[in-house]
Amino acid sequence: MKIIIVGAGEVGFHITQRLSEEGHDVVLIDQDNEKIKRVTENLDVQAYLGSGTSPGLLKTAGIREADLFVAATDSDEVNLIACLLGKNLNQYMVKIARVRNQEYMEEVGLFSQDLLGIDHIINPQSLMVKTIQSLMEIPGTTEVIDFVEGRVKLIGLTIPGDSPLAGRKLSTLKERGEKLLIGAIVRGDQVVIPDGRDTIMADDLLYVVVRSNDLNDALRLFKTKEETLRRVIIIGAGQTGTDLATALDHRKINAKIIDKDREVCATLAERLERVIVIHGDGTDRDLLQEENVADVDIIVAITGDEESNVLISLLAKGLGAKRSITRVSKLSYIPLVSAIGIDTVVSPRLSAVRAILQYIRRGKIISVAPLKGEHAEAIEAEALETSGITNTPLSKIKFPKGAIVGTIVRGEHVIIPTGDSIILPQDRLIIFALQEVVPKLEKLLTVKLEYF
Amino acid sequence: MHFLIITRFTGLLILFLGISMAAPLIVSLIYDDGSAYSLGLSMIITSGVGIVLYLSTRHHKEVHLNHRDGVTVVTLGWIMSGLVGTLPFLFSGSIPDFTDAYFESMSGFTTTGSSVLADIEGLPEGILFWRSQTQWLGGMGIIVLSIAILPFLGVGGMQLYKAEIPGPLVDKLKPRISETAKTLWKVYVLITLVEVILLFAGGMSLFDAVCHAFCSMPTGGFSTKNASIAYFGTPYLQIVLIVFMMLAGINFSLHYRMIKGNVSSFYQNSECRTFLILTGIFALSIAFDIHGALYHSFFDALMHATFQVSSIITTTGFVTADYAKWPPLSQAILLVCMFLGAMAGSTGGGIKIMRVMLLFRQSYKEVFRIIHPHAVTVIKLEGRPVSAEILSSIWGFFTLYMILFVIGTFIMSFMGLDIFSAFASVAASIGNIGPGFGTVGPVHNYSAVPLAGKWVLVLCMLLGRLEIYTVIVLFLPEFWRK
Repeated sequence: MKIIIVGAGEVGFHITQRLSEEGHDVVLIDQDNEKIKRVTENLDVQAYLGSGTSPGLLKTAGIREADLFVAATDSDEVNLIACLLGKNLNQYMVKIARVRNQEYMEEVGLFSQDLLGIDHIINPQSLMVKTIQSLMEIPGTTEVIDFVEGRVKLIGLTIPGDSPLAGRKLSTLKERGEKLLIGAIVRGDQVVIPDGRDTIMADDLLYVVVRSNDLNDALRLFKTKEETLRRVIIIGAGQTGTDLATALDHRKINAKIIDKDREVCATLAERLERVIVIHGDGTDRDLLQEENVADVDIIVAITGDEESNVLISLLAKGLGAKRSITRVSKLSYIPLVSAIGIDTVVSPRLSAVRAILQYIRRGKIISVAPLKGEHAEAIEAEALETSGITNTPLSKIKFPKGAIVGTIVRGEHVIIPTGDSIILPQDRLIIFALQEVVPKLEKLLTVKLEYF
Repeated sequence: MHFLIITRFTGLLILFLGISMAAPLIVSLIYDDGSAYSLGLSMIITSGVGIVLYLSTRHHKEVHLNHRDGVTVVTLGWIMSGLVGTLPFLFSGSIPDFTDAYFESMSGFTTTGSSVLADIEGLPEGILFWRSQTQWLGGMGIIVLSIAILPFLGVGGMQLYKAEIPGPLVDKLKPRISETAKTLWKVYVLITLVEVILLFAGGMSLFDAVCHAFCSMPTGGFSTKNASIAYFGTPYLQIVLIVFMMLAGINFSLHYRMIKGNVSSFYQNSECRTFLILTGIFALSIAFDIHGALYHSFFDALMHATFQVSSIITTTGFVTADYAKWPPLSQAILLVCMFLGAMAGSTGGGIKIMRVMLLFRQSYKEVFRIIHPHAVTVIKLEGRPVSAEILSSIWGFFTLYMILFVIGTFIMSFMGLDIFSAFASVAASIGNIGPGFGTVGPVHNYSAVPLAGKWVLVLCMLLGRLEIYTVIVLFLPEFWRK
């Protein structure tokens, strides 16, 4: 596929990186020389310096031959105009725009083919805010992802050393019944898509699919403590911090947000009613103590500087904060920070990649969630009648090794499958797969070869 | 400073007032009360002076009114209106003394409603009507009315509008200032008409209905009866008056939105909510306080309490009972009402609920800052941030209000009033209320106040009506420097 991406900011960069890694031809456009430099030095893509709203440059970048166009700059307006130009220059390509402003989203018909002609809207920032909110809500988890409109949850859980589950084979976990399924185990840098013979070990990160209704049962099984969320401190009032604070504003949570920039603080204070805005340095120990970090349930470190985020989380936990959520975008840092005791990590890269992946997967893919480290992903897809997976017991289907069906959703029913379960056409599936088997899986999900 | 254009505008204003004297003249002719001659003379003199002032400057080229001109025009316009307003009183002999006449006239235009007249009912109908009419014109503002009627003002109108309209924030209803002024006046006329009909339906004579509507919509408080509203015993009339006094105390842009179909506009506005809730709490507290010893039925107590609270908090000044005889708690609550005043953008006086709310919010913020020294806080009103400039201007207003009140009290007690009466007379004048406590209480009048004291109170009324800054800036030497 030939893909054009406008904007080499955080979202654009991560999307470019992932798509390039998947073997697509990616052309990137950005106005900032520094960003272009960073891209050409790190990624195997073509990069142009200039404006994404320049028709001339878009033609030079080869828009007429492109299959996919992604406008991912920080400005909604630039993204919309870029897509409009894209529609004018090549009406056959799929256009994806990053839009943050909620008012645009609510304007009916704005993105329709008659007007702007945008096929998909992505908003990684809001995905990340939702992720952080879910992490706050569900204690003991390092990751929470919604599937099937929130009826099924994928949660990431770390197994503590003293857990009774440590050392047990999956096949002996009878008490799980049909309530949950372990879809993936992350052990160090390795991802295992498990079968009954695999064993849970201490410090494993388990990815578990569970019906939203059964969530508390599942958490009880893993012995994570219930706690109510009362006090939150957010450090860093960037886009994510601002959105998160706004989301918490109308809830009965005692929330504070700290930022270094006085202007940013002033603007934010105008928007918020209940959340207290504090101007100061989040790495300042005295300030954290002054704001009573010792009694805080969760500290969310989401400044733009990831080294600071790690330090803030460590400092806050040292001062008595119960949990921390840390924003880390460099993938290479993730194993390191787990080793020094930072449990919950959110990554803007994962959010950005998650937002875009479903549109480039073939078949009827509804959503895609890359798992930690991106070596594996959870895919939500619709089973097509023409594909080879329907009307056969699961144990008889030749699934590639490293892929497993985690959930079958049929109308109102959410089925955690066993080997005897049968997939019917139009069922929604949640499948765990290692990255290297995704192409095989795509083939399996789309159409049987004999139809051609 | 452009003296020619100031003169021209003042001339127009006087001409306009002269023409408006036709209304009391007609009333006088209908009732044949013997004041037609003096009203006609006043009309001719006023209109004549207005025409002369206007024509003498008519060749003057149009000049844009600057901020200083605006302030001068407004203050001068009000002083001149007060002067013109004395003519019918003087010519008819109703109030022969100039100081008394000026006091009565200024009390009318500023919608204060304090009177030097002992026997109001003895006055000819034409003069009574003129008295009510001064209040009605002054309520929405003679300058705002001029802006609505005179199209030539253009951009300069905004300066005048800001200088006259009460409240710290200017709410422009329409893109053009003259349209805004017109809209406000239309709403004002409409509500007044409804009130006239309702009062007339309740058994008042048409004359009394018009006069009382003319005095309650601007939160004025002149009555045509010596006993004020106590004369009209029926609960219906009192309830109608309570409702319309409260309506007059509500920001007129909310009325406009209500008429435009936004039914919940009163509830959505936090200043309005505060205003209504405060009134309710005060009325109930007083009702419980005066129930028993003074009034045997709770309904009576509640009626009197509600009437008095709404009359004082909206700075109208109608009375149904001698509240000076009420227990101390009730008096204290009424005293608080005198200072609070009605909503910004209403026809009421006082400090205004909006200012008090913002002062409270800022004080809370100062205390909050002790707990969170690094917190960044913004003071908001209706969800929108209020700029530091406006907040400091409100603090300045509050400080000046209090300083003027203290100085006024000193002077009045120096004139020989007892301390409580001195205190109340200044509070009632600067708040544009009318009746105070003590010797200027609801069953007394201001005729016993010494001559110089009356002038002090006149100044207080003007300061209160034009919200201090507009008047006091004229006393600064810097203002007059080129």
